[in-house]
Amino acid sequence: MAALTTVGFRSGTSLLHKLDVRFKLLFLILISFMSLSADFLRLGLLSGLLTVLIIHSRLPLKSGLRGMQFFLVLLLLVLGARMVTTPGDPIIEIKFFSITRQGILSGVLICWRLTIIVLLGFAFVHSTRTFEIKAAVEWLLKPFVFIPGKRIATMMGLTTRFVPVILNQASETAEAQRARCVENRKNPLYSLIRLGVPLIRRTFERADQLAIAMEARCYTEDRTDPDLVATRLDWIALLVILIICGLVVSI
Amino acid sequence: MDIIEIENLSHRFENGALGLDGINLQIQKGAFVVFAGPNGSGKTTLIRHLNGLLLPTAGSVQLDGVFVQHDLLRARRLVGMMFQDADSQIVGETVYEDVAFGPENLQLDRSQISQRVKRALMAVGLMDFADQSPHLLSGGEKRRLAIAGILAMEPKVIAFDEPFASLDYPGVKQVLKQILMLHQSGHTLLVVTHDLEKVIAHADRLVIMQKGRIVRDGRPSEIVNGIETFGVRSPCASLLGMEVPSWLH
Repeated sequence: MAALTTVGFRSGTSLLHKLDVRFKLLFLILISFMSLSADFLRLGLLSGLLTVLIIHSRLPLKSGLRGMQFFLVLLLLVLGARMVTTPGDPIIEIKFFSITRQGILSGVLICWRLTIIVLLGFAFVHSTRTFEIKAAVEWLLKPFVFIPGKRIATMMGLTTRFVPVILNQASETAEAQRARCVENRKNPLYSLIRLGVPLIRRTFERADQLAIAMEARCYTEDRTDPDLVATRLDWIALLVILIICGLVVSI
Repeated sequence: MDIIEIENLSHRFENGALGLDGINLQIQKGAFVVFAGPNGSGKTTLIRHLNGLLLPTAGSVQLDGVFVQHDLLRARRLVGMMFQDADSQIVGETVYEDVAFGPENLQLDRSQISQRVKRALMAVGLMDFADQSPHLLSGGEKRRLAIAGILAMEPKVIAFDEPFASLDYPGVKQVLKQILMLHQSGHTLLVVTHDLEKVIAHADRLVIMQKGRIVRDGRPSEIVNGIETFGVRSPCASLLGMEVPSWLH
């Protein structure tokens, strides 16, 4: 369970923590879009800005990176695929494969862009409480009358709440099966079915109990709206981000 | 004055099984009633009728003079319910947010919600955990959080379904202490359990159920002898002819 808490809100008093969640979401979208089309120089500038923010906010980068191990593997795969599939001047040639200079550059560029987007998400998640994110989603979906914003926000909240519970249940079921020597079975499909069926059944049972408990506490979609207040600080931050975006685009 | 009046209540499940069979029961304001009985005796089914989570197949349930099915929202405000599995009833990602869930559903304004949440967290001693994720709490703390979630709705009646299940000794003491504080503050308490030992010393009424019927009803000291014939274990002290001591002493 403790491992699951490495990705999540950490309280603090930094600038990132103080900003209104809607502004932070807007900054996340703006900078992510900008980094998707940025070259090395622009990515360098954005990385510098992000580093300052992460250090200033005292975000737990070390434990965050540990939680992103699978993402780092994905980056390596992207880099490898780019290196061998992009045509250009070959640097190393092994049988049918050739690693090209252009491939390395393009792979590094894509990985850098993806890393910036993921680190932005990391900074956002670590400096924002889940209920604030939920509130921002609800607020953003309000103009779209055909989208049930409140229901989506509740579902988001329940998902984040229950992912650790379901993972815990999965690990308990797996341990109980290991205690009965499930590892002696060579067929991985057998183990998967033996783990999956009770886990799904238990998850549905929990969902049923949760629905009853929510009903007992008068659940309705017409609930008190979340409190979101934009301060002068948020508008100043927006101005600064727009200036930086303008500078990066005009370089 | 009776806050709960149940008349000839029967409930048949969708699969045809009879859950409750002609229950008649009146519960006074401020009472502390323990419901005991073997598994499947209808204890949980009965308390779920009090706030309309289940509706009668026959008979009626009145809360403070109003039929439950006539105003479900009122029934759920009046009767708070703590379920057996605390993990399944915690909906918030933080302790604060979970306690605020009920008042938000009642569409109270933010300042009222904040006041109620703080009061409820203070009452159960979880104020320091307000920003913590509920899944990191201990078993006893999770039950206290569930109690705080109920308190924030400001109910008059609180029903506990197996409040001591899978708790260690300190956890049982924490929850029991909380239950007694609620009783002292004037709430009507209904505790469903098959483990009488832990709570019976504090109750002023004991109801024994079997096969959907009430088979014994009265003061614990008067009816506790011989309840083993109904599938409920008598407290150890009463078997020895002694007064049952509190778990808090």
